[in-house]
Amino acid sequence: MTHLHLAAALLAGTPAERAFPYLTTLVLVPVGAAILVMVVPRTATWAVRAVGMAASLGVLGIAAAMLAAFQSNDGGYQMVTTHVFASPLGISWTLGVDGISLFLVLMSALLFPITLAGATERRNPKAFTVWVLILEAGCLGSFLSLDLMLFFLFFEATLVPVYFIIGGWGHERRGYAATKFFLYTFLASAVMFVGILALVFIHQGQTGVTTFDIRQLASTHLSGTAGVLLFLAFTTAFVVKAPVFPFHTWSPDAYSEAPAGGAILLAGIMAKLGTYGIVRFDLGLFPHAVVVLAPLLLTLGVIGILYGGIVAAVQRDLKRLVAYSSLAHMGFIVLGAFALTGEALSGAVLQMVNHGLYTAALFLLIAMIYRRRQTFMIPRLRGLQRTAPVMAGVFTLVMLASIGVPGLNGFVGEFLILAGTFLTHRWWVVAAVGGIVIAAVYLLWAYQQVFHGRSEELAGEEQPFREMTWREGLVMAPLVVLIVFLGVYPKPVLDRISPSVDNLVAHVEVVAHPKIPTLGKPGVLTVKVLPGSTSTEAAK
Amino acid sequence: MSSGILGVLAAHLLGSTLALPHVNYTTILPELIVLGGMLVMIAAGSVTTRHLPTEAFASATVGIGIASLVASLVLWHDVDKHGPFTAVARSIDVDGFSIFILVLVSVILIVAPMFAAGFLQREGVAGCEYYALALISASGAMLMASANDLILIFLGLEILSIPLYVMAGFDQRREASGEAAMKYFILGAFSSAVFVYGIALTYGATGSTNLAEIGAFLARNVLISNGVLLAGLALMLVGFGFKVAAVPFHMWTPDVYQGSPTPAAGFMAAIAKAGAFAALLRVFVSTLPTLRTSWQPVIWVIAVLTLLLGAVVAVVQRDVKRMLAYSSINHAGFILLGLQAATARGVAGSLYYVFVYSLLVLGSFGVVAVVGGRGDEGHDLERYRGLARRRPVLATTFALLLLAQAGAPFTTGFFAKLYVVEASVAAHSYALAVIAMVSAAIAAFFYLRVVFLMFGDLVSSPAADRAVAIPAGVALAGAAPAGAMATGGGATVLAASGVATLEASAETVVTTPGEPRAAAGELEVSPWVAAGLFCTLGATIVFGIWPQPLVEFAQHATLLF
Amino acid sequence: MIHAAFLIPLLPLAGFAILVPFGRKLGNPLAGWLATAMVAASFVVTVVVFAGLFQLAPAHRSFTQSWFTWFAVDKLNVGAGLLVDPLSMTMAAFVTGVSTLIHLYSIGYMEHDEQFPKFFVYLNLFVFAMLMLVLADNFVLSFFGWEGVGVCSYFLIAFWFDRAAAASAGKKAMIYNRIGDAGFLLALFLIFERTGSFQYQTVFARLGHVGQPSLIAIGLLLFLGAVGKSAQIPLFPWLADAMEGPTPVSALIHAATMVTAGVYLMCRISPVLHAAPDAAHVVAWIGACTAFVAATIGCAQNDIKKVLAYSTVSQLGYMFLAAGSGAYVAAVFLMLTHAFYKALLFLGAGSVIHAMEEEQDIKKMGGLAKLMPVTAVTFLIGWLSIAGVPPFSGFWSKSEVLLNAWAVSPALWAIGAVTAVLTAYYMGREYFLVFLGKRRWTEARPTGDGYGGVRGHAAAEADRGGPGAALTTPEPVAGGHGAAPPHPHDPGWVMRLPLVALAGLSLLGGFIDLPFHPDFDLLERWLDPVVGANLLAHHFGLGQEWGFALLDAALAITGVLLAAALWRDVVERRALEPRFLSMAWYIDWAYDHFVARPGETFAAFSAAVLDSRLIDGAVNGVATVVRVGGERLRRIQSGYVRSYALGIVAGLVVLAAYVLSRAGS
Repeated sequence: MTHLHLAAALLAGTPAERAFPYLTTLVLVPVGAAILVMVVPRTATWAVRAVGMAASLGVLGIAAAMLAAFQSNDGGYQMVTTHVFASPLGISWTLGVDGISLFLVLMSALLFPITLAGATERRNPKAFTVWVLILEAGCLGSFLSLDLMLFFLFFEATLVPVYFIIGGWGHERRGYAATKFFLYTFLASAVMFVGILALVFIHQGQTGVTTFDIRQLASTHLSGTAGVLLFLAFTTAFVVKAPVFPFHTWSPDAYSEAPAGGAILLAGIMAKLGTYGIVRFDLGLFPHAVVVLAPLLLTLGVIGILYGGIVAAVQRDLKRLVAYSSLAHMGFIVLGAFALTGEALSGAVLQMVNHGLYTAALFLLIAMIYRRRQTFMIPRLRGLQRTAPVMAGVFTLVMLASIGVPGLNGFVGEFLILAGTFLTHRWWVVAAVGGIVIAAVYLLWAYQQVFHGRSEELAGEEQPFREMTWREGLVMAPLVVLIVFLGVYPKPVLDRISPSVDNLVAHVEVVAHPKIPTLGKPGVLTVKVLPGSTSTEAAK
Repeated sequence: MSSGILGVLAAHLLGSTLALPHVNYTTILPELIVLGGMLVMIAAGSVTTRHLPTEAFASATVGIGIASLVASLVLWHDVDKHGPFTAVARSIDVDGFSIFILVLVSVILIVAPMFAAGFLQREGVAGCEYYALALISASGAMLMASANDLILIFLGLEILSIPLYVMAGFDQRREASGEAAMKYFILGAFSSAVFVYGIALTYGATGSTNLAEIGAFLARNVLISNGVLLAGLALMLVGFGFKVAAVPFHMWTPDVYQGSPTPAAGFMAAIAKAGAFAALLRVFVSTLPTLRTSWQPVIWVIAVLTLLLGAVVAVVQRDVKRMLAYSSINHAGFILLGLQAATARGVAGSLYYVFVYSLLVLGSFGVVAVVGGRGDEGHDLERYRGLARRRPVLATTFALLLLAQAGAPFTTGFFAKLYVVEASVAAHSYALAVIAMVSAAIAAFFYLRVVFLMFGDLVSSPAADRAVAIPAGVALAGAAPAGAMATGGGATVLAASGVATLEASAETVVTTPGEPRAAAGELEVSPWVAAGLFCTLGATIVFGIWPQPLVEFAQHATLLF
Repeated sequence: MIHAAFLIPLLPLAGFAILVPFGRKLGNPLAGWLATAMVAASFVVTVVVFAGLFQLAPAHRSFTQSWFTWFAVDKLNVGAGLLVDPLSMTMAAFVTGVSTLIHLYSIGYMEHDEQFPKFFVYLNLFVFAMLMLVLADNFVLSFFGWEGVGVCSYFLIAFWFDRAAAASAGKKAMIYNRIGDAGFLLALFLIFERTGSFQYQTVFARLGHVGQPSLIAIGLLLFLGAVGKSAQIPLFPWLADAMEGPTPVSALIHAATMVTAGVYLMCRISPVLHAAPDAAHVVAWIGACTAFVAATIGCAQNDIKKVLAYSTVSQLGYMFLAAGSGAYVAAVFLMLTHAFYKALLFLGAGSVIHAMEEEQDIKKMGGLAKLMPVTAVTFLIGWLSIAGVPPFSGFWSKSEVLLNAWAVSPALWAIGAVTAVLTAYYMGREYFLVFLGKRRWTEARPTGDGYGGVRGHAAAEADRGGPGAALTTPEPVAGGHGAAPPHPHDPGWVMRLPLVALAGLSLLGGFIDLPFHPDFDLLERWLDPVVGANLLAHHFGLGQEWGFALLDAALAITGVLLAAALWRDVVERRALEPRFLSMAWYIDWAYDHFVARPGETFAAFSAAVLDSRLIDGAVNGVATVVRVGGERLRRIQSGYVRSYALGIVAGLVVLAAYVLSRAGS
């Protein structure tokens, strides 16, 4: 076939769906915009910013349209598109969205314009915008790929822009941080790379088809050992990316050395690539291994929750503190992912979105503080509430959301995770609950040090701390609104998440028959098994 | 009547004593074009009274390259229709495999001169000789690729190598260059000797040097003792291993790459690997599959050593050329993955990898040649610090080439690694695959180090905007061959020229008119180099974002074989 | 009209929603009046609904009003809705009522504060949260209110955030509460696992299927939550520090309403406690011990508000004693009367502090009775009422508690009795030192700048320690010298009105539930539909009741006389104020030394050693290994052709050796 024909197909979309190709455009628009920005004169900063904003907002719009077109009660993949990409290698450009990826896509689509608006760089904004847009394509692609190798491509593709963002615009030790981040994650995903290929060829051995399509790979029959090994290969990449204890040590360096925007995108979105990978691929492809190794991962998650909190409590650098608190929050998500109940898993997916929102908000606020005081060091900040009550109020709100106070988004996710996990793994939850107390300890302490007290107590703080400007407030607004809304009325979100989650859990049940809480009394849960509703069939 | 006698005599002489095989010259047209072009060029160079500018020779070489490319593609079309065949008394194989290499060599011939031209000019060693040598060794590589006879392979090997020795020492004024040539020559001669001995033993064991016959022989008979054959195999492997710089036959590589004129280093890295791997694959995979169980473990060990040593030692290099030398060793290890798999997929992977690698290494050395500066001495890593500030586009190009070598996604480098690793996983050599990926991760470190040196203080310095002047026109001119080479598909040409305009505009914008060129004077990027960089980078990105065509090409190459 | 119930919580929320954006514009005092109006309106609605409920037959005095699904996944379904029944309405009534009075009082008390509007923002938010807690129809929504009031109390304690003492006190309160909340959460999970629901009705209906161990666990875990919220042993130290907040806050949150949430929870889950007697006993004993310990501490405090704080802890102990001994009516009864007189006492203390220009040390007061008669008289009523002197409300409620305690175990009664004497005594001590005796404030005295900022500074230094300091509070230190003596006087009418009103309630509040005759105990019959089934029915003879009544009266009088005898004109009695008591049994000190500091040390260790050295060290170690390996390997590269050739030969030899070894195979 001629390549022109391919090109045409790429743009037109397969005969299968003549509808607007939301997903492909979601991925390609940022790339196009990036190229456009490259062409824009470096000196015309305003044009660079405009193009960047317009593109990211456009993506947000497309994502919103996709949400509208999304069938809320359908647990399978929707808007699936397939195009030729590298057929001799078995790779195809297959994109699809379901309840698990839907809101991660939306969240990413929201955070990018916020980053560009709220945390863009004064120095060389052109290059910065280009990298951010490329990163956006990478993240969206990862969330939307139904082709394992395509996912891996995007998954890896995110490394380069982040490397340049940290290395180019970061703080003092950016070189170390950027390289550490890149190599650590690169090495981890190198292992997954081999795992992917091994899985594909095991599948090929069984069916004779070389494909990376997870909908087909999900039906691969794996021996116990093979399953466990592949699971470990995949999980290595994901736990490093998330990060999960004890693979987290790159994150404090990366978060604290990255520029504001980099930190937002790293903690807000990149981290979710790891947890999303766990949910989508570990659970979807290796149910047996998941059931076997769940205790291990759950334990790591709980350790992360407690350890992250404890270590965060002695950080003096705001960004490092948030980094460790993210470690704790990732622990919760891992807990939910491996509890293998619909409640916990839905909670985990929701919590990915929640964490993205309030962590982004936290980093934005920290960036505002830095802009005014040129420091992240807690001991060098004091009494900001006196002159900046609004910022203090917003910070409080975000902080409470992150602590998990009911009425704000953090609570719903955590509650679902813990309640769901309690059904299958009671004692892990008992331990994890301790993390809720610790979270209050370090965040309230940090808040008190930074916003309470009197700035006069610090030497050389004559000029008063400036209040949040309108522009900053405007950037902050959507996050604050969502934090409250998702805390008060998360139902619409959960309604779209849970069908897919139920399919996944059912798939794991069917394939692996894990221990189900056998409480035959009325009103007592027994995880239902939808016969034949494995994600494979659901996809059709 | 006497005339009749004479005629009879002549007929007798010609007809009976030596039977000239019927040669269909179209089947070896690419080789003929290259050699013939070379002769014409030398002739022109010597005949013309007034000194011809080096551009003339360069563009002549490019022209020859394009011509042989076209010829190869015609052949491809032919083979695609009628299937593979042998020619010249079954000593030449005309199949997808050989033609893939012919295409690759032609591409190298198109790109390499672009880097040489500017360099030779700058170093004041311009002249037709360099290009002539390049063409000769290119024809050697072509011969190796299409040879169906061990003798012919050996001939090709020598034709390939000897010009390279000379090119290594081409820059007389630097004794490093001479030393490199000397080392390369001695060790090369040594390894060739071993290789010949290997051929002899193989002949002794199988009674033929024709690959087809050897294969048939081994298929028919079961050797009571295959010791001799295996020994021959081992010796040939040494010869090949030397050419492809596989551990432990790699030691010449760093010194030679470092010593030789930089573009020459790039050229030899590309052409030698192309030729040697072509022959290696043909001999081992297609001729001696029956002995697979014997040589696969050997290749396994060599591959592991090559992968790890290349990556690990490169980490501690301070000299960019040495670093690239070790990285090329690492790449050789990856290509060996395909051989070790010993499957069609594996061969395809290796072919694809060689193709991709050749362009990447040419481009990388091209940049190094520019940064090295007059005298070709400035190859210390320090010289790259803050390059992005002084030369945004040059730095970005180099960064992308290095990242592609590291296997960054959406570059050809990624798919190259994917292809070979996929092959070895498919062949159940999981351990090898894992080791390969680990070595890739290690390798990523030193590529990144250079990248960070160039970009690290990009924003910490205020005056971040200066640039190399690459006239948009030239860049676009460069786009044409790039596009042609890319696929011939219009889409790609569009994409390519898109990239071109992009770079160009980036240039025109950042070039501040009032800026004195003095600062830029030291690191002059001639239009030729710009075009060369453009072709290599264009191919890397275009086929990275849209891998289908090239991947398919490699796959078909092995199907017709 | 009972369906107007949804307005009860929403009105304060509306007030909050209006004040957040427009509070500053409305400013002082308009913002205050708006907030007060909202709460008052909510009080009116409550009364209306209350009356409406009263019309119905006792069996039908309970209905739920569900609003929307908060979140639902699979079997887990959490709705937002109200449960309107006698218990919740009783709570709602007194919460809104007391809140209205205290809002009113605050308008006067906070008039000079620059953050005036913000204060009322928090106050309204608090009332909303408290009402959600009380009216919620399921555990999770109650937890929402539960956390909400906790957060508000954090805001309000740390209201004067530039005083480090206040800031850390707020944090401390929040953290102690979180410890309790952890228990609450676990209880929720267990309830869900066992019953598959959070709805109070459903859960209680399914208790039959829940095993005894689970019931006990649920009961105790919820009690742990209550312990945190209601400052019982061992989580009570935060309440004393909470007095750093403005006095109206202390009155509203840390006396009348929030801290009683724990008791309310116990009454709400009375079916659980009824089904799990062991849990109930724990509740009773913890309550009794807390009552006693706090009372002893109260005897040795010199801060006018701290005395009241510990007395609150002690009284809460009484309430848990009642709840634990199955006397939920008595618990609620005491809760109500306590709300009246303790709010009264706090507001009285507030106006004293106001009059003394922020002086809080009772040793530096005295003889204020003549100068501020209204305050003195109302405070007196409060004292007698908490002391349990008939016929004040405290007498009736406390004697009912003690009566039921006796029924469970005489030992509990004994503790309660001793505590009763102590209560009368330490409140008397405070009264005498503040209102009678010599005027000790005329001579020069230390002043705080503004809101005791001097303490703030010193405390600040003490507090830079780190998050571990969260569990402790720095020692207050005396400040500068030589301010002119103040001119104490009664406050203006906005502050006076609540005093009088509450005084009236404390005086008469007892009559809603009198013993001696079945027709008198209105409250008991009112609450019967809710808790009736779970009451441990004890029937006391009339003589018994009279006997206990007289005994209680005697105990109270003893305490009063003791105080009068000891403290009428004496200021210093070291023997009676042992450091052990003034330091609150060293519990803060213990937390500091055995929890906070070890915790900090461990955290520091994890960060410095575990994380940086061990884990990250391993990561960087890998890199080092590679580099070293590279250094070693590069040495092979000698640069001599001969050695290179040697390398080739070596390779060749090994290769040949290998293949020949395979030869013939």
